This record gives sequence, C-alpha cells and structure tokens, in this order.
Amino acid sequence: MKLLLRFPSHLHERPYTAEIILETGAKINIDRAYVDAVHAEVVVDVPDDKARRVVELFKERGVEVRILKKLIVWDETRCVHCGACVSICPKGVFRFDADWRVTLDEGKCVQCGVCINACPMRALALFYGEGERVKQQE
Amino acid sequence: MDFKVKKSIAEINEKIKDGSVSVVTADEMAALVRELGAERAAREVDVVTTGTFGAMCSSGVFLNFGHADPPIKMRRVWLNGVEAYTGIAAVDAYLGATQPSERNPEYGGAHVIEELVAGEEIELRAVAHGTDCYPRKSVETEITLADLNQAVMVNPRNAYQRYNAATNSSDRTLYTYMGTLLPNYGNATFCGAGALSPLCNDPEYETIGVGTRILIGGAHGYIIGAGTQHEPVKGKGTLMVIGDLKEMKREFLRAAVFYKYGVTLYLGISVPIPILNEEIAKRTGVSDAEIVTEVIDYGVPRRDRPVVRMVTYAELKSGSIEIEGREVPTAPLSSFYMARRVAEELKRQIERGEFLLTEPVARLPTVGETKPMKQTRELPLVRDVMSREFKVVREDASLEDVAKAIVKGKFTHIPVVDAKNKLVGIVTAWDISLAVAFKYNTLDKIMTRRVVTAKPDEPVDIVVRKFEQFDISAMPVVDDEGHVLGMVTSDQISKLVGR
Repeated sequence: MKLLLRFPSHLHERPYTAEIILETGAKINIDRAYVDAVHAEVVVDVPDDKARRVVELFKERGVEVRILKKLIVWDETRCVHCGACVSICPKGVFRFDADWRVTLDEGKCVQCGVCINACPMRALALFYGEGERVKQQE
Repeated sequence: MDFKVKKSIAEINEKIKDGSVSVVTADEMAALVRELGAERAAREVDVVTTGTFGAMCSSGVFLNFGHADPPIKMRRVWLNGVEAYTGIAAVDAYLGATQPSERNPEYGGAHVIEELVAGEEIELRAVAHGTDCYPRKSVETEITLADLNQAVMVNPRNAYQRYNAATNSSDRTLYTYMGTLLPNYGNATFCGAGALSPLCNDPEYETIGVGTRILIGGAHGYIIGAGTQHEPVKGKGTLMVIGDLKEMKREFLRAAVFYKYGVTLYLGISVPIPILNEEIAKRTGVSDAEIVTEVIDYGVPRRDRPVVRMVTYAELKSGSIEIEGREVPTAPLSSFYMARRVAEELKRQIERGEFLLTEPVARLPTVGETKPMKQTRELPLVRDVMSREFKVVREDASLEDVAKAIVKGKFTHIPVVDAKNKLVGIVTAWDISLAVAFKYNTLDKIMTRRVVTAKPDEPVDIVVRKFEQFDISAMPVVDDEGHVLGMVTSDQISKLVGR
C-alpha cells in the first residue's frame, strides 16, 4: 500500500520512519521524497499486512497520512496507445497487451513524473487526491 | 514477366461491387504468405490494406474562409492565435500542423485542425494593408469547419516507408521529436508501423502511385505524388497526400505535443494494395524481421549523427535491444494499435463496397536521393573563436594559486587538470568567493567536476546552445583525450555575432 506522509516542519529532526520500521518490522520502501525548509513529503510503500499499524504510528506522531489508492490519472479518450510512456518509465508501469494497447500497472508507480511530459497526447497526470497538488521536483 | 496469377484493378473493383472481394490487412497477409506461399495467397486475396498512425509533422490544411464585407485581402491570419500562411489569394490560407501559437507553445496548428474536425468554434483574426479592391484592414470572427468553403488537408510528406530509431549516448535527458531520450542509452524510440506500413508493402512502388485512393484521417483521399525528402534508394520513400478535412474523423487525427520540441499531428493513413500477381503478393508478405533500420545517436547534435547499430522492426518491437552490451528498453512513438485499426477500417469499407480502388496515373520515382542543405556562408567553428591564452591549475593547487591565475589572466574560469594534464574540473571566481565566505581551504571542496566542454571542430551554434542549456558563460575546449586546448566564452561569441 502506498502512503503519502506529510511531516510538519517541527518533526523534521526525529527519525520517525526508522523508529516505525524498527517497531513494526515492516519493510517500508521510500518511493519518493521532497524536503524543503518548511515542508517534507514522502511517499512510502508499505506491505499490506502491516499497513494499518504503520498508519497508526505515523498518525500518533503527528504526521499527516494519506492512503494513495490512485497514483496516476490516465485519460483513455486521449490515449492513442503509441507507447511513448513505455520505454521511459523506470518502474515498468506501462506495458503493451497482445493488441498493442497500453495497459497500466498502477501499483508499480512511484510518481516520478517522467511519463507526464513524455506523453505526446497529454493523457497522463499524477494524482494526489481530489483538488490536491504535491510539490514535485523538476 | 509471366505471372501465374493475373488480375486487374478493374476486375478487383467488380468484385468489390458484387461483394465477393477478399481483403486482408498487411499483417494478416504476412501470415498467409508464410503459410500458403505467394502464389496461393495471390489467388485467395484481392486487396491488402496497410496502415500507419504516427506523428506526421509535414501536414497542414488549405482553408478558404469566404469573403468578408467589406472584403479583405488577408496579409496575416491567426486561428486561435496560431498563424497560417496567407501569401496566396485574399481569403485562402495554409495552416501548418507544427505552427505554434503565439500565446502557448504547447498549442499549435495541429490542435486547431483537431478542433475544427471536432466541430469546435475557432477564433479568426486577420490584418491587411487595404487596397481599392480589398479596403478592409482587419477582421475578427468565430468560425467552425462547416462555415468554411473548403478545408483540404494537403500534406507534403507523410507515411515514411521506414524511419530511424533514436537513442542517446550523452549524459543528460534529451527532449526530441523522437520523444524523451534518457541519458547513457537509457532507452530507444522508433516510429513507423513496420510490416503494416504502406510503402514497406510495395517497396518498388508498383501499385502505389499518383492518384491512388487512400484513407486519410478516416476520409477518402488521394496520393498526389512522392513526398518531400522521398528517398527510394535508401528505402525511405514518402507520400504527398490530399484529403477533405470536412470528411475526417477525430479518432484518426490527433494533435500531439513533444515536450520541449513542439506541436505535431498524429494521423492515420491506410493505402490499399491490389494483389495483381504473385510478385505483389510476395512483397505484401513482408514481416517485421525483414525491415531493417538504423539506431541513431541523438546525443550528437549534428546532421550526420552516428549510427549506433542496425536493427529490425521485430527487434525494436520485442521491447529491448542490445547497445554496447546493455539491454536498452525500446518503445514506439507511432501507434500499432491505431495503425491496425486504420487498416481494418479500410478493409471494412472495401468489403462493404464503399471504397473502390484506383489505377495510379503515374508512378512514384524509384531513384533519387536527398541532399543536405547547400551552405554558402561558412559556419564559424569553436577553434576560430576560442582563446588559446588561458591558465590551468593542477588539482593539488592552493586556492591562492587559483586566485592568482584569475587575477593575472583574463578569465574568471580556470580549468583544473591532473598530473597528465587532463581536465578534471573547473573553478570560477565565484567558487573562490564561496571558499572565502565559508572558509573552505582546498580546491576539491569548491571545484565543479562535471565540466561542460566544447570540441575545436564544433560549430559555435552548438556552444551557444550549451551556454543556454547549462546557464554558463565559459567552457574549456578539449581534444578527444581531455587535454585543454583553449577557452570559449559567451563574450567572444557575442562579439562574433555583433561583427
């Protein structure tokens, strides 16, 4: 399960993620992290069986947690199944099916954003939750 | 030649009319020829439909707006802010697919074309100088496709027989008309529909010629000649085509944007090939494994980019190819899914008797090459402008040595070299200020190790692009071994431009 964690600035100093990994034994993978002077956002991948506990522990520490069910928005009406996204995705999210149609394996997405500009049809966008926009590095 | 199977286009058209015609798509034909052999396939199949759906930059539409009152001879005209060429009659214009909007570089001619096809309203603005017969000096209005007298797509170059594949050996991401090319051979892209591609199925241009009726953007259209840069001797033939925009469908025509490159048009084209004899059948049996193209290194910003390797469309379509011992992911930019749909659409229309074949009135040239541009002005090279007086410091030099080199010489940039005199870094006056401010006392703490360099035989224009790209003002000129030969600065180039 993918979680978007927002750390308020006063929480920057403590190694919360490490503490939670040690406490739960969950193998947490950091997909993406953005940190600046006032703001820290991390997207982590947590094994499903430990996810509930991990969410609780982050919340207890004052970290804002959002479960990312949807990572990427794909406008199938714009898509012409060209494949410009296929070779540039570092995680293999996009594949061709037997009919040369592009299919998405959203679970693999780490929201790196490379595909967004690579799509000639502008059919892809990162999803952060309704009406939300998370900081993204160029 | 004495053929065992002999058919004429007129005979095939009779079969289309009475509904007995046998049509297959080019990929179905490849399987049939393999299975039955060319002669039996030729007996069983009357028409093979080909298809391609990809970026076709050399596309556009002739528009006739009708006359305003009082009338205007348009000198310049914009459609949704995209300028169309109007150096023809009063209210005729040619809107090119790649022409960018003056407001938004991600919007262009292709978008206007797609929106016209979709029936959307387009803002028209035109200016003129005013004449006795055309007194009006400006007009602003809203138009739709239905309001135009004519909207005819005329594309100077479409449906490349085959095109090269692209990769990138350089250490940064390139944004090209071949899509995003990741650094260090991170990926390879290619276009064209391979064995489904029209001209690949008739490489001798026996049946595809001037006057061949085709499907373009979902409408009936015609081939009007060989396209620009038609290069038959290299297996890179092209088509010039025409079609009525008013008959086109949005699903077979799409505006596209290549990031940091610009706007283009994705267009679906299907060309029928009448199977008149077993030789033609044999050629339509072509497979992806038989179509070879070059993988070109776009990391080299010159016309003659190096060929990294040769590759077949079968290899490209497999999802990866090997380059210098590495497995490089490949993906197309053209849509095979849509190419097949385009071919199937034509097949369906022929089977229903809605599309008759035409006899070409002239053949496409089978000889001829594409020449490079004749350049009568000599392009200045880096070696013509670079300064050969420069100072370098060794990597173990003290910051005082660097400061002295800056003060004594005329450069604010000092290349750093190793014991063998090879470039290992660069240090600037700014870096020295940084060292003073933060009390760094060794060169390795402040110097930049990834140095942008120039080669003496590079045109100055390439260096200008690097200055802009990396936001720098000077770079060392090095030989192939990394020895510093000189320095080139933006000041030197400004002087050259001002000359």
